[in-house]
Amino acid sequence: MALVMQAARAPVGGGLRLPGPTLLLILGFAVLASISAMSITLVYRAQDDADRVNHTLRAMNAISQFQIMIRRAESAERGFLITGGEGFLRFYEDSKARALPTLDEIGTLTLDNPVQQARLAEARPLLQSRLESFERSIAMRKSGDVQGAQADLKSDRSEGAMTRLGTLLIEMKAAEAQLLESRDTASRHTAGWLTAVSAGGFTVVLALGGLALYLNRRTIAALETAQQDLEAVNAGLEQRVAERTADLKEANDEIQSFAYIVSHDLRSPLVNIMGFTSEIEVMRTDLFERLAQLREKAGEGPEADGELAADFEEALGFIKTSITRMDRLIHAILALSREGRKEFLPVDVDVGELVASIAGSMAHQMQEAGAEIRAGRLPVIHSDRLALEQIFTNLLDNALKYRREGVPGLIEVSAVDTPGFITFTVKDNGRGIDPKDRGRVFELFRRSGRQDRPGEGIGLAHVRALVRRMGGLISLDSTLGEGSTFKVTLPRRLPTDNGKKTND
Amino acid sequence: MTEHVTIVMVEDDEGHARLIEKNIRRAGVRNDILPFTDGTSAVQFLFGADGTGREHIGRALLVLLDLNLPDMTGVEILARIKSNEHLRRSPVVVLTTTDDKVEIQRCYDLGANVYVTKPVNYENFANAIRQLGLFFSVIQVPETD
Repeated sequence: MALVMQAARAPVGGGLRLPGPTLLLILGFAVLASISAMSITLVYRAQDDADRVNHTLRAMNAISQFQIMIRRAESAERGFLITGGEGFLRFYEDSKARALPTLDEIGTLTLDNPVQQARLAEARPLLQSRLESFERSIAMRKSGDVQGAQADLKSDRSEGAMTRLGTLLIEMKAAEAQLLESRDTASRHTAGWLTAVSAGGFTVVLALGGLALYLNRRTIAALETAQQDLEAVNAGLEQRVAERTADLKEANDEIQSFAYIVSHDLRSPLVNIMGFTSEIEVMRTDLFERLAQLREKAGEGPEADGELAADFEEALGFIKTSITRMDRLIHAILALSREGRKEFLPVDVDVGELVASIAGSMAHQMQEAGAEIRAGRLPVIHSDRLALEQIFTNLLDNALKYRREGVPGLIEVSAVDTPGFITFTVKDNGRGIDPKDRGRVFELFRRSGRQDRPGEGIGLAHVRALVRRMGGLISLDSTLGEGSTFKVTLPRRLPTDNGKKTND
Repeated sequence: MTEHVTIVMVEDDEGHARLIEKNIRRAGVRNDILPFTDGTSAVQFLFGADGTGREHIGRALLVLLDLNLPDMTGVEILARIKSNEHLRRSPVVVLTTTDDKVEIQRCYDLGANVYVTKPVNYENFANAIRQLGLFFSVIQVPETD
């Protein structure tokens, strides 16, 4: 047993507790989800960053555009002043028209930046004064005052404003450039994070996958080991069962031969007791004859010996009935032990026919008792004919013997088919068996209920011994005062090696 | 059976021995019956002090033998009788409880003349012994030489 226990425990003790596959799966999903969430956030941030950079670039572009437009307007004004060409005038008007919206655009683009807004606010009047100065010169030149216009140009009253405007624009550009740089850095940062998170996630997923694979392999290996152990234990168990069965068989054989020897040896002294009791009987006859002769000689009557003769008769009667009983009991044990040693000879037996022939042999008793046997459809089974005959004879005989008073006996025999086995039922409407005696009635020399019928308490013990030897079962279901039902389950095919015994 | 034939009865159960004797007598057998209750004393009588059986020369013996003896088996005694040059012609009647086929065959193989199984019921027992007695009264027993 110890060996079996050890083997059974081994796989349990060997397994180290690690996160199960389910937990691992959940963990993997969580990691994936968080990585995805982070990636999405970072992508949005990158887009944001790109937008900001773009914005700054547009602002810078607008500032540059504005600078160019101012310069163009200035160049066009100078050209007109010198040449008076209409083309220059148109060029000037175009530049001026484009410079103002550009300034507005700058305003819109830098709306979030108060410093730039302040610069812009300062730039506006400067531009205004510059443009006014241009307009004045142009108006002079148009009116033909070339000298005045040139003098105005030379004096350049708005020179200071122009310088200041230039400075402002440079500052604005520088501020935007700085902003661009910081935003660019932020964008780069985000991209870096994105890469890092992706790579990290990939690594974690890879690690989890690896761990899962490893755990899976371990589980499979553990399962294989457990299976092997189980197989080993099973094999051991089977061998054990075989050994035990052999032991039991041997023990059973020993009991059988023991019973045989005991009952045989018990008979030897019994023959003496019986023999000498018979001798005493013979002697008694002689004795009383002698006594009668003596009394006759003495002239006495024979009545005086009557009492003595009765005492003799009583004593001898008790001895003889006890001997007969003892003899029957020993005979029963001997018969039972002989049955146990007898080899079964399995043949095809039509149980229906068998029951009918038993019922036929009991017909006379049945008629006397007013009882009836009803047999349902009974199968043909491959079994020992003699054993079946004894089983059914005993059961039917019991059913007939223990009837209920005042009720016509009805004994029903039926069969139920189960795979490999047939359960025969013998049901009666007799006096029934007390629940507490249901086990006892199968014991040797034990009987139940009123002891008003002849019998030694052997029949059912014999039946149970036979049924067990045939690899079957017998059970009893009964209600006191209503009847009993005996169920005999027998293998459909009796194994041929059953009850093997070389001699008897 | 002539009057000078001696019946040697080897039977460990004294009650059985008495019952056998009584029932043989009832069949009208008047011969001497020598009872022995164990194997050793029976062997001593049969084969004598020197173990040769020579001292029975000229006598006629019939052996009634039980197989279950306390000190040895009757089979052993049977084998010795049938292999002894003086006693081998003496009839041996095995009277025992055993009805084992193998045992019966063995006894006949060893030269037993009759094998009778003791009936376990007294009526049959008494009857069997009486018939055996009747049988004794008609058989011829040779003298030992």
